[in-house]
Amino acid sequence: MNSAIIWILLPGLLGIGLLLYRPRDRFPQILAGLLSLFLTWIAWQLPIDVVLNIGPFSFEIFPSLSFFGRSFTLTSAAQPLLTFIYFFQTLWIAGTVVAKPAKPFVPISMICVSLFVAALSVDPFLYAAILIALAILALIPLLSLAGEKVRPGVLRFMIFQIFAVPFILFTGWILSGVEASPGNLDLILRSGLLLLLGFTFLLGLFPFHSWIPMLARESHPYVVGFLLFFLPTISTVFALGFFDRYAWLRESQFVYQILTLIGGLSVLLSGLWAFVERHLGRLLGYAAMMGVGFSLLGIGQGVSQGAQLFFALLLPQSLGLWVLAVSLGSLNNKKVDLSLDGIADAFADSPLTVIGLILAVFSLAGLPLLASFPPRVDLLANLSTSAPWAAIIALLGSLGLAVAGVKLVLAVIRRSSKPQSGWVEEIETEAAAKAGETKDPFAWAFIILAGVGFLGFGLFSRFFLASVPDFASMFPLLFP
Amino acid sequence: MDSGFIGLIILLLLLLCAAALLMSRDWRWVMGALGLQYFLAFLLVSSSWPLELAAVKLVAGWMAGAVLALTRMNLAIEPEEATKRLPTSPAFLVLSTFLVLLVVSGAAPALADWARQMSINQAWGGLILIGLGLLQVGLSGSNFRSVVGLLCLLSGFEILYAAVEASLLVAALLGVLNLGVGLAGSYLLQTPGTEQLE
Repeated sequence: MNSAIIWILLPGLLGIGLLLYRPRDRFPQILAGLLSLFLTWIAWQLPIDVVLNIGPFSFEIFPSLSFFGRSFTLTSAAQPLLTFIYFFQTLWIAGTVVAKPAKPFVPISMICVSLFVAALSVDPFLYAAILIALAILALIPLLSLAGEKVRPGVLRFMIFQIFAVPFILFTGWILSGVEASPGNLDLILRSGLLLLLGFTFLLGLFPFHSWIPMLARESHPYVVGFLLFFLPTISTVFALGFFDRYAWLRESQFVYQILTLIGGLSVLLSGLWAFVERHLGRLLGYAAMMGVGFSLLGIGQGVSQGAQLFFALLLPQSLGLWVLAVSLGSLNNKKVDLSLDGIADAFADSPLTVIGLILAVFSLAGLPLLASFPPRVDLLANLSTSAPWAAIIALLGSLGLAVAGVKLVLAVIRRSSKPQSGWVEEIETEAAAKAGETKDPFAWAFIILAGVGFLGFGLFSRFFLASVPDFASMFPLLFP
Repeated sequence: MDSGFIGLIILLLLLLCAAALLMSRDWRWVMGALGLQYFLAFLLVSSSWPLELAAVKLVAGWMAGAVLALTRMNLAIEPEEATKRLPTSPAFLVLSTFLVLLVVSGAAPALADWARQMSINQAWGGLILIGLGLLQVGLSGSNFRSVVGLLCLLSGFEILYAAVEASLLVAALLGVLNLGVGLAGSYLLQTPGTEQLE
């Protein structure tokens, strides 16, 4: 058995197969969910490149698969990341029960995840840019549903993502020249500039971020959440590969300063935009942008520390985005207007979902006791010594998102405390009809999972963060 | 293939194709120009790559074009150009094309000088397509034109990249990417219409 077949080909083929499945039942969700869970388990438990004996049988997962003269390699160092990816893919599939996105979500998400894993495993690693672009193209039918009007966000998103490919591929070619003559400042400058442009397009950084709020308003929030979860995560891990591969990049203090500047700017701007935003779909976009900004701030802390901080920030950020996307997807599915007033009105009908939404916003803002707080404190402590200005603007940005959460709470409280008018019988019947969500076991399962996840991570962060060095070990030179 | 007089002819034809993609209002002409552009790009790529590998680009490009053309042909309603934010008069487009040519005339010799693997004609051809593709994407008000612009841009990039990287996997992946852009564009074309840009 081969690791590329298990973690790339199998989910990809299942996704393609499920696309052809016509009946509108839960079979695709169950099958894809079980496969993702199984892949999570084997990534977590079974070693790669070691012969295993089970009774009379023995088998081995080989790490590399040759394809067209190149290879897809997934060694044991990549197993923590594979576990993370497939665990969250299981959650994204499970979340469809509550968020109810379009039917092709499950198969297309499986195809995308298999392409993302292929991007992380392809050797030479630069070709990842093309595989990421292919995953993006696969998502287009979900972002703009058949029969609906094409909004400008989806086209802009596609264009910007395709723009990233030439920049990154050319950078790779120039970087090989830099390796041959490391003293050539001209080459270094050109490759650095191209790399910066490529990743600015790929990660949707300022000033090429405009597709994020546009798409977040136009498309189903759950699909946008999935996109804003996987695209930045995989792209940032891909970017870390550059640092691991090229010594001049890894050892350049200037590069880390640039990363800190861009990360700080992303956090500040997304926080300010979130502060003035009234549409919660767009708030999801800004929260994701803030996550990318914090990741860059983390990486900007330099060799060893940077990779660790990135992975420490990634886990709670991922949970926050998932909960936020499930909540918004569920509300969107109930035809709730995703404005502040709309959410406040929806509280009576969907209290659990709105509570999940508020918790997610506060967690993503880094409020104490919640998931993102411990790694953010670590990051800010580091920043306060290395770049105090960045710590201040990161705090301001977080404050912006936190205030957006407070505005949401105030809107809900204001609406709840409003005296209801009408006959007592009418109000009681209406209230009984509206209590529907509290009888929904899936809604309870979701809110319990979200609450336990946020509080568990916030209170027992050391337990979760203990796995961070395992993640970082996939970059042996960056994290010696 | 791309040296001397023939090379000059290829470049001139490539420029005409890219300009036709930008200026023609009739989708049939646009698709014809796109098909010819892929053939000319194939000729430029074949000077760095074996013929059978270069043919992958030609086939993938033609397939992407065919998908777009078939979709466009079967559309019941004529899609409208959604925006008139930027001028699209022939005079403006000709001037813009000259501007792109001016930039390319400065950049192409420098690029060919810097990247030794690249011939001057490949540098010219690649940069012309990238420049005019970018212009098309920036000015277009419809999904169809944006996707054609993206394909033009990708084609230009592939000419340049072929000179520095001759990998079977890259050829295959870029071919699939072209096809993917064509398919995504065709999917977007089948929807009712594009809203006004913000």
